[in-house]
Amino acid sequence: MVSLASPRSVRKNILESSHKSGHGHIPTSFSIIEMVLATYGIMNHNPNEPKDPDRDIFILSKGHAALGYYCCLAELGYFDPKIVHSFGGAGTIFGCHPDRVKQPWVEVSCGSLGHGIGVGTGIALAQKINNTNRQVYCLIGDGESNEGTVWEAVMVAVGQKLDNLTILYDNNQSQSRCLQIRKPAEIFSAFGCEVHEVNGNDIDELQKVLSLPVNGRPKCIVANTIKGYGCRTLVNDVFAWHRRSPNEQELNQLLEELDA
Amino acid sequence: MRNQFKDTLLKLAEDEPRFALLFGDISVFLFREFQAKYPNRFYNLGICEATLISVAAGLSSQGFIPIVHSIAPFVTERAMEQIKLDLVYNELPAKIVSCGATFDYAWDGTTHHAWTDTGWMRMLPNFEICQPGSKKETDQLLCHYLFSSSSSYIRLSDNPHGEDINDITPGKGIILQDQAADLTVVTAGPILKNVRAALDGISANLIYYNVLKPFDSEPLQKFKNTKIKVVHDAFGLFEAVCENIDAPVKKLGLPDRFCCSYGTIDDVRKLAGLDVESIRAFFLKE
Repeated sequence: MVSLASPRSVRKNILESSHKSGHGHIPTSFSIIEMVLATYGIMNHNPNEPKDPDRDIFILSKGHAALGYYCCLAELGYFDPKIVHSFGGAGTIFGCHPDRVKQPWVEVSCGSLGHGIGVGTGIALAQKINNTNRQVYCLIGDGESNEGTVWEAVMVAVGQKLDNLTILYDNNQSQSRCLQIRKPAEIFSAFGCEVHEVNGNDIDELQKVLSLPVNGRPKCIVANTIKGYGCRTLVNDVFAWHRRSPNEQELNQLLEELDA
Repeated sequence: MRNQFKDTLLKLAEDEPRFALLFGDISVFLFREFQAKYPNRFYNLGICEATLISVAAGLSSQGFIPIVHSIAPFVTERAMEQIKLDLVYNELPAKIVSCGATFDYAWDGTTHHAWTDTGWMRMLPNFEICQPGSKKETDQLLCHYLFSSSSSYIRLSDNPHGEDINDITPGKGIILQDQAADLTVVTAGPILKNVRAALDGISANLIYYNVLKPFDSEPLQKFKNTKIKVVHDAFGLFEAVCENIDAPVKKLGLPDRFCCSYGTIDDVRKLAGLDVESIRAFFLKE
């Protein structure tokens, strides 16, 4: 397994970037970090050549976790981590949602929920037609999965036997106050996916199931994560911190909690 | 026109390996020969129009020319955001070919009527909109726009206007009548049939379009000092004309209400005020 990237370093950059920019969904950004690092750890990708024609594809369908994604990419060597401090500012390419038109390492612009997985299904179908071994990974949210298009795409991917598509389902309980999807593993399984349920904040567990072979159907990894994982303050009050940037005092406290 | 769509695709696919047809469980029997000949380029993905568009974007990103086909209101209105974001904003062009234009499916009622599509789609930047009025125009426009670098919407109808118009260059408006008249009529697509009949005995110039965007303003300029009247059974033509000429423009289009009486397309056109008599009265009115 290849991943020298440090989740702690990514979290630190998320906090600092949000503090400096005044933007960012920190708790959801924190919940995806291990999934992104684990997946890039096994993916064929090249930070120096983001458009490498043989690369595997990663799509962050839950685009509001962009800050977490950018900080992971920085940690993986795509760009200088400090550039992310421009997050959401005028003229930056690091908008609050990933944008393929502005960023060469972004495959699909996402922000409106329920789009990335459909486009990812098309990319996976293209690999089947072209008979390549390229893999497609799509990270979706549990809240995002309130959108019907997620399930349309899953049905199409199953119908087309797209075993080169892996769905990473961030089960961070984001919808506990409204439309929570209970027993997602059973649902994805009923739809026809090969399902693995793991601790989504554990890179080793994730990479074990990411590496398992699958035949004739998409893989779905139900990743049980904790919103705000890594900082007690965020975990204890996720709704207050949903889209809030820390002031200097709060930043210092959150950084201390990271080290605890 | 749908038959022509099939024939044109069969013809073009021989030399074009990038085509990937994504169908929403419609016209599948019609395309059985295509499917048998090119099984890995024809996908009946199911009744999920929004996802058809998203999948098309994914295929487009990998170098394919995706051609999405379903019934007009479903593949446009239901998939509006996917068209706007996945195709157009992402710069992942695909071709949308619909059937069931405006009141083609009169008997099916409002759920199956398509009249907003061309109106809102023209607001999308770098997006092409075709409204062919005959089989010949369908062939001509498909042969051109399937290979363009933008996303395109090609809106097929089961009710061609019945004219054999020669010398249309794709994307260009055509002057069908130049009578040096004070009245210039502008129309597009299948409703030309009623417009022609309504013009019987009336001195008028007539400009016909089958591409609404990008809009060719050149034929209009010749008649900029005449009274301009637009007749259209959808949205987008009147707006394009107004944007391209500094002159008052009158319009006979769809009313601000649902038009549902079942029956035939002629029945619903009458209800909407787009029958020959109503159009003629519009031309004769000062």
